[in-house]
Amino acid sequence: MLLPLLILIPLVGAGIGAFVTSRTAKAWALVVSLLTAAAAIGAAASFDFHASGVVQLQYPAATLVESHFGLVDIGFEPRVGVDSISLWLVLLTVLLMPPAILASFDSIKERPREYYAWMLVLLAAMNGVFISRDLLLFYIFFELTLIPMFFIIGIWGGPQRRYAAGKFFLFTFGGSVFTLAAVIYLGISAHSFDLTDVTRYAQQTLTESQRWWVLLGLLAGLAVKVPLFPVHTWLPLAHTEAPTAGSVILAGVLLKLGTYGLLRLVVPIGLVTAGGIAFYDFIYFLGGLCVIGILYGALVAWVQQDIKKLVAYSSVSHLGFCVLGLAALNAIGMQGSVLYMINHGLSTGAMFLVIGMIYDRFHTRDINELSGLARKLPRLAFFFVFFMLSSIGLPGLNGFVSEFLTVLGAFTSDRLGITFGVFAAIGVILGALYMLHMTARVIFGPLKYPGFSGTDEHGHGAGHEAHEGTSHAPVSDIGAREIGLLLPIAAAVILLGILPRSVLSTIASPIDMLLHPVPARSTAQAPVQSEPLVITSARP
Amino acid sequence: MNTGNLLSLVLPELLLIAAACVLFLLGVFPGKAARMAVPFVALLALLAAMTTQLTYQSDPAVISADPSDSIRLAGMAIYIKTLAAAMGALFVLLSWPTDRNRGGNSAVQYGADATGEYFALLLLCISGIFLVAGANDLILLFLGIELASIPTYIMVSISRPLPVAQEAGVKYFFLGAMSAAVLLLGMSYLYGSTGLIDLHQIAEHFAANRTGVLSNWELLGVLMVMAGLSFKMAAVPLQFYAGDVYEGAATPVTALLSFVPKTSGLVALVKILWMVGGGTWQTPENIARLVAVIAMLTMTVGNVLGLMQHNVKRVFACSSIAHSGYLLVGVAAVITGKSQNALGGVLFYLAAYGLMNVAAFGVLMLLPSRSNRPATSAETFEELAGTGREHLALGLAMAVACFSLTGLPFTIGFWGKAFLIVPSLSVGNTGLVVVMMINAAISAGYYLKIVGVMFLRPVAHASETASAKQDTGRPAPITIAIALSTAAVLALGIVLPMTEVLRTKTVQSSQIDSLPTPPTASAAR
Repeated sequence: MLLPLLILIPLVGAGIGAFVTSRTAKAWALVVSLLTAAAAIGAAASFDFHASGVVQLQYPAATLVESHFGLVDIGFEPRVGVDSISLWLVLLTVLLMPPAILASFDSIKERPREYYAWMLVLLAAMNGVFISRDLLLFYIFFELTLIPMFFIIGIWGGPQRRYAAGKFFLFTFGGSVFTLAAVIYLGISAHSFDLTDVTRYAQQTLTESQRWWVLLGLLAGLAVKVPLFPVHTWLPLAHTEAPTAGSVILAGVLLKLGTYGLLRLVVPIGLVTAGGIAFYDFIYFLGGLCVIGILYGALVAWVQQDIKKLVAYSSVSHLGFCVLGLAALNAIGMQGSVLYMINHGLSTGAMFLVIGMIYDRFHTRDINELSGLARKLPRLAFFFVFFMLSSIGLPGLNGFVSEFLTVLGAFTSDRLGITFGVFAAIGVILGALYMLHMTARVIFGPLKYPGFSGTDEHGHGAGHEAHEGTSHAPVSDIGAREIGLLLPIAAAVILLGILPRSVLSTIASPIDMLLHPVPARSTAQAPVQSEPLVITSARP
Repeated sequence: MNTGNLLSLVLPELLLIAAACVLFLLGVFPGKAARMAVPFVALLALLAAMTTQLTYQSDPAVISADPSDSIRLAGMAIYIKTLAAAMGALFVLLSWPTDRNRGGNSAVQYGADATGEYFALLLLCISGIFLVAGANDLILLFLGIELASIPTYIMVSISRPLPVAQEAGVKYFFLGAMSAAVLLLGMSYLYGSTGLIDLHQIAEHFAANRTGVLSNWELLGVLMVMAGLSFKMAAVPLQFYAGDVYEGAATPVTALLSFVPKTSGLVALVKILWMVGGGTWQTPENIARLVAVIAMLTMTVGNVLGLMQHNVKRVFACSSIAHSGYLLVGVAAVITGKSQNALGGVLFYLAAYGLMNVAAFGVLMLLPSRSNRPATSAETFEELAGTGREHLALGLAMAVACFSLTGLPFTIGFWGKAFLIVPSLSVGNTGLVVVMMINAAISAGYYLKIVGVMFLRPVAHASETASAKQDTGRPAPITIAIALSTAAVLALGIVLPMTEVLRTKTVQSSQIDSLPTPPTASAAR
């Protein structure tokens, strides 16, 4: 019963939050998000990490066969459950949500009740995606994330928010309708939407051409969400226009829905068979898109003037690594990829938090207008540099291990091989280049920010121009609340940097099960048909 | 077969027609009290009709026919009647007279001396759907379709005292008359080539000399009938009138237009296709292909046009065309004869579509208009700007309706689309499903625009009309209609046991008739 709580607590919380006063709305949202985190930690505590590949904490439990909840006649009987991969991503979600809500305390002044209600709905939807053990339920929550995010970007975003929100929604929805078609096709062919049943059915029964179309359909929605190279254009815009918390959640968790979907659906349903890997050439194509995304994202990030946009493009590049690790289809690459999802969520989410703090103070994110912030805001600069280093993969911090593993996976993959590995490695270097370039300009060098034009650090030289008043406006360093919301993420960054094994050892067995499905022992093992179905399928 | 049974077959129709006569009479009385009573009478009649259908038979698969075999009631007829009566009650709520002289409300103005007529016409067109649902011969089918259509011509014209409404009414009437002529001509060819008017007997005739192809005369007849019905459904090739007529009519009448003619046309089409298939649901190849092509074109034309509109009512007109296309995707799966619950999907979608539309049009009615033309609700995107912020509840209701029309999860629209896709994929209509999904993505463009305009744009300027409308308060009947339909859209989307009840009901109701002939019918021949 712990897992449904992950959805129910935030949903009920959002419902109640609509009726509290505007002032208490934020505190209420924080409490609800912490309660959800507590439920997730409770789930983690009762999770048996020795059997991490087994789906645990299922609800309704597998033994309750006659739980006729759902739409039995089309085979939809929703069930939730987690293996260690899902559990880690749930933990990432609940770890990022309270800081994101805390970060909105000062910046969201308009219509706070609605804002926090949408944030909680978003939390419920994201948890729902990760804990779904049912294909259709996965899709339902996957789509549900669009609605709160659309409003969060569109109402509380930057100057181009309407366009950004619409583009975000239409791109993602346009891709995922094909995913829906593929999901329903799989469901009615397998007579069940249960993930295990569907996967087994796809691997054992679907013909090659059927699998091919299913693969394309699934990929259409997930590739947009990730986003892979040609369909990434919504992302920089959405990131730039979203409010801070929106960017944090978007980069931290929403993009992971795409990669998680690739891992959970595309790899086992589309690519892996009991005998080996299907669609040899397609993996080249997928890997090629990743490499293009890595290099293109990095190069475009290099020339950005807006810090937030720079980090947004860096996400395009980073997610390329993540998918490259999946496309390697070996244990190293995929473990690296899962670790990458968590690490990218932490470091990029934290980057957006810090950038939000800069923006709150100076109302600009332009690299040309900001310089030498370390002199004025040393504590903020510390966290900025810290998360930047984690993002470019400094050894000892979290990013290093996962980046290394995904590139190593590409090198050792018997499909992708050295060419892909080399190009990805170039992307690693580029990643360090643009991040360091930006940090050098914004954090170090002579102090400069809007309203401060003088060379004197003490602000005496600023008064010549019209900005007399603003030059002395108090720009304070980050306070206890802001440090408090960054610290847990920083702790996670260091922990995962020193002890990546704590995650890697637990995700090894589910990945092994993904890559080496049990071959069909006999025809009697074929999909369990527990219910007599009313549907007359064209196929026997 | 005694007359008592015959009476029970047409009881709801008789109820509505009797109530309509009462209303016509009530309209003559000058007093305000009579006008006050009018909508209550209409509502009661519809609820009574619905009750007769809900309690009609425990087993909807049982078919009852009258001695002359012109009416047959099976699952689908009873379901359609129940649905039409329920939707009719919602339409009554939407056009509830609340202004000072009880001649309409802020969105519809039929005049104090036409209150009775307006509601009587509303009841008549619902009873037209009833007749279509039960009809088992061509003549009664045609009469039912016209009974569902002719009152709407008048309702469009009298719904508001504006030239644009007159124009819409006249346009609708002439085109409707033309389509009726085409339909009737098609039916006459069917009669001429088979010598029969009884749908059941024609089906037997087609089944008996089944060669897989229709003769040329039969084909001509079927094609003309389909063309005539496509006008009623607002499907390609006769969809073009929808924009002008939907825009011209007052908003509650537009809501009615989006449901009543579509339902009568769709039910008639399903019956005709069943008949052409010889009662086996398996129509000849060429007809099936034609339906698929019409479905594709209808969806695409509707959605692409929808992207280009500036007037929200025209957007909903295009959406109405597009949804006819989705329904036809379901019909295309039905007439392969391979899926038992494809028709259930169509019936489910019809209910879903009706509910979503009532919610959307209801919200439009309550939003203030900038223009000071009488009986005009918010119609342009500029008028909608920022209204979601001002009136949060209305905005959320509209968002729910639009997301449901798009087919997002947690709304009835999602399950509606799913139940259309499931049979289509299982009978192998993959191409149609792909086109439908592309269209769902296109349609998201304009539905999202409505939600975006309402929530994301600032209010252009605090308009005096808004405050004026606030003073009069929100008419309770319209609010109830919005609340009911929005709650249903959400509940049937989220609460899966409820969805399953409706799903089971629609699947069980997917029965028109069955061969072999029941003994009573053959005795009557």
